[in-house]
Amino acid sequence: MSDISHWFEETFKDCYCAENNLVDRAKFKELVQLVLDDEADEKSRALFEEKIRTCISSNSCFEDEKGILNAIRTKLADCKSEMPSGLAQSIKNSISS
Amino acid sequence: MSEESAKKYTEKEQNEVFDGEFMPHVDSMYSFAYRLTFDEDDAKDLVQDTYLKAFRFINSFERGTNAKAWLFRILKNSFINEFRKKSKQPAKVDYNEIESYYNSDDVDSNITTDLRVETVQHMIGDEISGALNALPVDFRTVIILSDLEGFTYEEMAKILDIPIGTVRSRLHRARNMLKEKLEGYAKEMGYK
Repeated sequence: MSDISHWFEETFKDCYCAENNLVDRAKFKELVQLVLDDEADEKSRALFEEKIRTCISSNSCFEDEKGILNAIRTKLADCKSEMPSGLAQSIKNSISS
Repeated sequence: MSEESAKKYTEKEQNEVFDGEFMPHVDSMYSFAYRLTFDEDDAKDLVQDTYLKAFRFINSFERGTNAKAWLFRILKNSFINEFRKKSKQPAKVDYNEIESYYNSDDVDSNITTDLRVETVQHMIGDEISGALNALPVDFRTVIILSDLEGFTYEEMAKILDIPIGTVRSRLHRARNMLKEKLEGYAKEMGYK
């Protein structure tokens, strides 16, 4: 088991109380990040998906985080700085000189 | 034998690797350099310097491996080791102090945001970009690498030379810092 998988499993346990209610949203958001970044392994993802199917609080937290991250990614991608014209050629010239 | 002198590629192969595997990333490299330096000329110099180094050490690059990550690592090291020292915009913040603060265990209890999806959707890219640019460089970097360039945690760990667990925690903290800035900005601008 990788460090990340082990961390996921342990953190997941800390997020819920004995009655299976979400009690630590901050920690849960760290798990959401791993899932959204596609870094959770199959077992961790299955555990996570089962929870967001059955727990309203977890589902709502996941959807909020997903929406915010997607909006940030899209808007940042839209304002990438333009590469100055001639830079690629200037690099090519400098290595052939 | 040094990496520079260990000849693995012929001159023709070197040009093939350079043109075929390195040059397609020049756009992303410039974008990364600009977000580190905030200056067009400095960014151009940093990218030029990176490509010169990449050519000089081309024999240490394994064809077919991740050229983009290899180039980003060189650029990041050039920025830290040489560029930041002579930058027109010297660092005004003690990054080590910030890093140790944000890596402390209780940091997440200090940053709690109530940012809503709709708020982010109301913002324009420049506002979000401005908030990103206001983050300390180490935190800005992980967001750029992950959310703009799409690197995996493993690739980021290699580029930044830090453990994968640190990538995870730093990225989480960086995103929280960004959300906090966006939330503050939204309040200032009267966004609901």
